[in-house]
Amino acid sequence: MFAEYIAYLFDLFTKNMVSIPLIQPIVDYLLQIPLINLIVALILWRPFFAVVIAPGLGVLILYLLYIVWFERKLTARVQWRVGPLEVARPIRGAIQALADGLRYFFQEAIVHNEAHRPYFIQLPILAFIPVLLPILFIPAGNVVGIKSPFAIQLIVSFIALIPVTVVAIGWASNSRFAYIGSVREAFMYFAYEVPFIIAVMSMIFLYGSGDPFIAVEKQTIPGAFLNPVAFIVFIIAMLMATSRLPFDIPEADQEIAFGPFVEYSGILFGLAMTLAYEKLYLMALLFTLLFLGGWSGPEFYLLGDLMPVIWLLLKTIVVISIIALVRSIYARYRLDQALRIGWTSILALSLVALVIGVIGAWLA
Amino acid sequence: MMRIEKVRPNLIKTIKDHIDAISVAAKQAVKPDRITIEYPRERRKYPDNFRGFIVFDKDKCISCFRCAHICPANAIVMEDYDNRYPSIDYAKCIFCHFCIDSCPTGAIKTSKVHDVAFKSLDEMCLHTTQITKIPEIVRKEEKYTVEYSVERGVWKLVKKRKLDNLEVEVPPPEVKVRKAACIDPESCLGCRLCKRVCPQDAIRLEECEVSPDLEITGTMCVLKIDVEKCTGCGLCVRQCPMQILVLEEVKE
Repeated sequence: MFAEYIAYLFDLFTKNMVSIPLIQPIVDYLLQIPLINLIVALILWRPFFAVVIAPGLGVLILYLLYIVWFERKLTARVQWRVGPLEVARPIRGAIQALADGLRYFFQEAIVHNEAHRPYFIQLPILAFIPVLLPILFIPAGNVVGIKSPFAIQLIVSFIALIPVTVVAIGWASNSRFAYIGSVREAFMYFAYEVPFIIAVMSMIFLYGSGDPFIAVEKQTIPGAFLNPVAFIVFIIAMLMATSRLPFDIPEADQEIAFGPFVEYSGILFGLAMTLAYEKLYLMALLFTLLFLGGWSGPEFYLLGDLMPVIWLLLKTIVVISIIALVRSIYARYRLDQALRIGWTSILALSLVALVIGVIGAWLA
Repeated sequence: MMRIEKVRPNLIKTIKDHIDAISVAAKQAVKPDRITIEYPRERRKYPDNFRGFIVFDKDKCISCFRCAHICPANAIVMEDYDNRYPSIDYAKCIFCHFCIDSCPTGAIKTSKVHDVAFKSLDEMCLHTTQITKIPEIVRKEEKYTVEYSVERGVWKLVKKRKLDNLEVEVPPPEVKVRKAACIDPESCLGCRLCKRVCPQDAIRLEECEVSPDLEITGTMCVLKIDVEKCTGCGLCVRQCPMQILVLEEVKE
């Protein structure tokens, strides 16, 4: 019975494996060894590979280590500082984020008296659910968790859930700064969400489907040139959504000391702090899919199925690295200014983008 | 009449400003103009008159106490060896270097050692024997000397692969030989403060004694300064309550 079950699983995994000609001999050899073959088959099983390794959890963690260091380093360069350096000096402090993460891990996570204890502890962990769910639907070539014709809509809707958890975190903290921060987060949510969804909608109209495969297929010219207005709206909405510096309003360090996350410490703070970065990763992936041609790029035979993954991640990382520069250029908007921008010019631009999308669909 | 008006947004100027800001940031991100010195690894070139660790030269010292007297923080205490030499308490020292300016013979001088750190308060009081040379610096990674250069308001770093010498060579001050002398012996009180304070025992008093029968033996109370022994430190000049002692230049 048990052996049959294992055989069934093994069969299921091997039918749908990521094919990488470069390591194929090693995989073939490993598949002949009992027990190890099951693990290898599981790792190379396409849905598992997409969700847990790339572009899923594994790459997400590597990306977090990279972006925290890169952003600090880039901002420091622009501001004539040096930035993180002393942790692993030969590589210019590149493992600073790892060191910080380890420190968070061993630090005491303090829960203050006024906090709603169960929610306070649960919410940073629960906040990962809307972060991890969109990864199921983000395809990279043939490597995909769940294939769905409504993948883009699903990704957008899961991303829209993240601010709810942030507001809940601020509420559970039950302190002044956290309260102000979560209210600001809610306001910013109103400011960007409508233009953001309309911009995505215009692209769905343009491609005629919410399926990323069709979207990527139709982008012989990158979507950024097909609908530049939606491109601009998406970028600004992305800055607002991830509370990066021109719209760093909910987390404003200098005013309300990290806003909703002010009471957190230890590993809980580590989890809460990376939320915005994870959101940025998801939105940048969506951005790449919609505007930069997704995983399309020159093929390379030896890497096989891995090549689209590499192209997708490369484009995403480049987008994120460029966006990180914005932090050192602009000062923070006031809440009312950001709301005004969101409901006037950005909304108007997004409607223009929608018109362009509809006209494009009609022409096609 | 002045009137405050709402700023009218100028779209073209706004876009130009945005592009300016972004291009400056991009330029700095690629090639920053930063002028940070990576301190323990790079040594900044300091000027020769840098106010750093104080170095003492015993051979030049004439024990005049001027450093101890002028010190505004009371950091200098004279210690007793074959003569009186200064010791410096770095817990008090404010690095004003008045002591160096006041030294008539250039026995204490500055150095470019600026990172004087101690493990405890007791260690901060450096004895005379500890300040005769600059502390040994053990720093393997220190390889470069860095200097700021400013051209038309633009700051740049000039890096050289050579370590700057931390010791400062100061030309010895032009010392005019001066000796103590009494300008008005008539006014001398005979208080003998000058004799007591003289570190060289150069002042001698010819004493007179008055017996109970009012017989006076010896001459009057007369001050005699031994010119050979006098170093011209001026301690007696400062002590004299009648201010009749001066330092006179020795004419060749």
